[in-house]
Amino acid sequence: MTFNSLTFIAFFAIVALLHRLPFSWHTKKVNLLVASYVFYAAWNPPFILLLWASTFIDWKVAHWIDRTEDQARRKLVMLLSLVFNLGMLGYFKYGGFLLESFQALAATFGIDYTPPAWNIVLPIGISFYTFVTMSYTLDVYLRRARPGKSFLDFALFVTYFPHLVAGPILRPTDLLPQFERESRPTRQQLRWGLMLMTLGLFNKIVIADGLLAPVVDKVYGAKDALPMLDAWLGTLAFSGQIFCDFAGYTTTAIGASLVLGISLIDNFRYPYASIGFSDFWRRWHISLSTWLRDYLYVPLGGNRKGPGRTYVNLLLTMLLGGLWHGAAWTYVVWGGLHGLFLVSERLMKQAWGEFALWKSWPGRLMLGVLTYALVNITWVFFRAHDFPNAWRVLGAMLGLGEDGKPVLTTWLIVSAVVPLTAMLAIHAYMRERDLHVEVARQPVALVGFVLGAMLFLIAATQGGSSAFIYFQF
Amino acid sequence: MRIEPGQLGAQPYVRPLPDMRAGTAVVIGLVVFVLALGSWEFYWRSWGSEPAIRNSPGLWAMQRRRIDNGEGHKTVIVGSSRMLFNVQLPVWEQVGGERPIQLAIEGTSPLPVMEQLADDADFTGRLVVGVAPDIFFTGFTYLSDKYELYPKETPSERVAQWLSMTLLEPWLAYYDEDFALTKVLKRQPWPARKGVPDFLDVRKLSVSDADRNTYMWSKVENDAEYAALCQRIWAQDFGEVPFGSNEVLQKKISGEIDRAVKVVERLRARGVSLVFVRAPSNSDYLAFEYRWFPRATTWDVLLEKTGVPGIHFDDYPEMQGLRLPEWSHLAAADASRYTAALQPLVEKAFAAQRKGD
Repeated sequence: MTFNSLTFIAFFAIVALLHRLPFSWHTKKVNLLVASYVFYAAWNPPFILLLWASTFIDWKVAHWIDRTEDQARRKLVMLLSLVFNLGMLGYFKYGGFLLESFQALAATFGIDYTPPAWNIVLPIGISFYTFVTMSYTLDVYLRRARPGKSFLDFALFVTYFPHLVAGPILRPTDLLPQFERESRPTRQQLRWGLMLMTLGLFNKIVIADGLLAPVVDKVYGAKDALPMLDAWLGTLAFSGQIFCDFAGYTTTAIGASLVLGISLIDNFRYPYASIGFSDFWRRWHISLSTWLRDYLYVPLGGNRKGPGRTYVNLLLTMLLGGLWHGAAWTYVVWGGLHGLFLVSERLMKQAWGEFALWKSWPGRLMLGVLTYALVNITWVFFRAHDFPNAWRVLGAMLGLGEDGKPVLTTWLIVSAVVPLTAMLAIHAYMRERDLHVEVARQPVALVGFVLGAMLFLIAATQGGSSAFIYFQF
Repeated sequence: MRIEPGQLGAQPYVRPLPDMRAGTAVVIGLVVFVLALGSWEFYWRSWGSEPAIRNSPGLWAMQRRRIDNGEGHKTVIVGSSRMLFNVQLPVWEQVGGERPIQLAIEGTSPLPVMEQLADDADFTGRLVVGVAPDIFFTGFTYLSDKYELYPKETPSERVAQWLSMTLLEPWLAYYDEDFALTKVLKRQPWPARKGVPDFLDVRKLSVSDADRNTYMWSKVENDAEYAALCQRIWAQDFGEVPFGSNEVLQKKISGEIDRAVKVVERLRARGVSLVFVRAPSNSDYLAFEYRWFPRATTWDVLLEKTGVPGIHFDDYPEMQGLRLPEWSHLAAADASRYTAALQPLVEKAFAAQRKGD
């Protein structure tokens, strides 16, 4: 079920109520586990079997790895776990993509190969929970932690509904210690959690779906050449849409979990105020970027094997990060561009060092604007449904080709510009600040009024339970 | 995970909280929310809206599932908004003894729904197919999300539909797609942008019951200004040849008729009887239809190629003189009169087919 649905409101009210009743901590955890399975099954019940399989196998594998000191055996068992997890991901997510790519490759050699139809439904959130269970096994293999004693805690760590289908991608250390000892949600946690849920749903329903999505759909759905203004507005609107959609999800998840007394880590830190791409990846989808760093980039050698190898590792990590998002070459290009920008940033820092200009506010502003503009170039490949679509929009943004026919009405321009201006101003202001601190600094009446206004706008926009963009990943 | 001293994350993460009177803020927030939403609700009620069931994809899926749940032998109505607004299920039931399943979708060709039914072995009943020329013969699908939801509707979506129908729709007048805030903002008189056609969206025209029995909204009938607005919205399409050229249009018409022939063959092979219905339209709308979709090259060809009987409003005196406030749909009272006239004709057409068999 999605957070922006009536079903979730009813579901969450029941779960939160049960969690506040005077049951034992063990019973409360069982309640949360059952609720999490209900949450997942409400989308497609049979796929819960995959979740069970993933949970059970990684639980067992981690214990096997922990019990043996034989390095070869440890490695073999770890690899078996990886084969299972990545095999499951590959079959459901990348099977069709691999077949299509093979067909295209064969065609370039003049071989007419028609693969069988691949009508496999992608289990929702599979990329997220696969990474969660893999991190557990890998942490044990890398001796960063030891397996736990409680299967209930582990199953709840994997399945805990706030993070299950779209993250944050948690590590065992983020959550398991919280399940080990009883925590009663405080009133302040309950209130702040509800405020965060409101903020998250406002981002999703009002900004992402209500105001920005129609602009993006209009521009990326255009069949003819576009003028530069429309192409840029469509892409800028997408930058806002995907942020408000994904950060909206995460904020709702963090808030929902806080109502239950469980703290989830941050996944975003005002990414459009980033200065450079290294900074961007410390602020955008933090749980994925740190996962990729710890379980891919570092094992590949990271920056320990010389500059050349560092660049290769960076590129490879970002290419695979792109592919993680979706089974299409456009995502690979998106990841590749981010890899190239990261490598370029390193090269420039090495070549030119730190200029005083870059530390002054005009210099930082310039770099921030440049970063945001380049991030938007990458978003074109993320949003476009194929390469011709991407080239059409990108060509218009760069002023290449004929001047096209405008598609955005005055209203659509307004509905893009107003929230984007507000979003960028907030990101710039909040760059070095924390939300809870800034909110506490405001008059209580103002906070209450903003909260009420957001609730009203959510209700008045109505929404339509549209899925969050990252569910498809 | 048993964390050992010195290992990563030995201390559980605790989210920092704002140091403020959050309870007061929540209370103020709730008061502001209730006041604002109350005002919003009052505004729409005073504008003429009343709480009603939303004609949503979930509601369509509920009716569609009736075919899977033992009602597949019944009469099913497909088509676009004219069949939806004009056929009154209580009147049909009163005249014919059976309440049909209403699956017509506004602004949407019935062919995708017929194709879905042709694939469904549970459907063995009778099909009344509405033919609105500019939709049927162009394959236009304004609301494909309705028939697309049914095969993939999740348990969560079903529960949400039930909750919405139980807790919100019967009580809130503002809770209507046409009054969604972004739609309201979109239709404000923004300055036109050169080179961008700024089409007015179709406005709220009808009110539905839980079984999708649908009739014209009283505001369309009683508010001349609103009816004129609805007419202007239809008239946006009347100026030019559909699809930009007559050649493309003719190809499209021919393609859709061929598509209809195929699906009719499949349905008939399974013993399903069909009848086509051309509901009334008038004034500028009728002129537009007769200009680009003349009966001789569309309706007559459809009947001839499919061999399905048809009921065209032009052929029946009892279907004349009906009131169509916005040229395309019947006023509620006239819809009842039309249904009472249509039902026996449909029965007669089905009976003739049975004899033919």
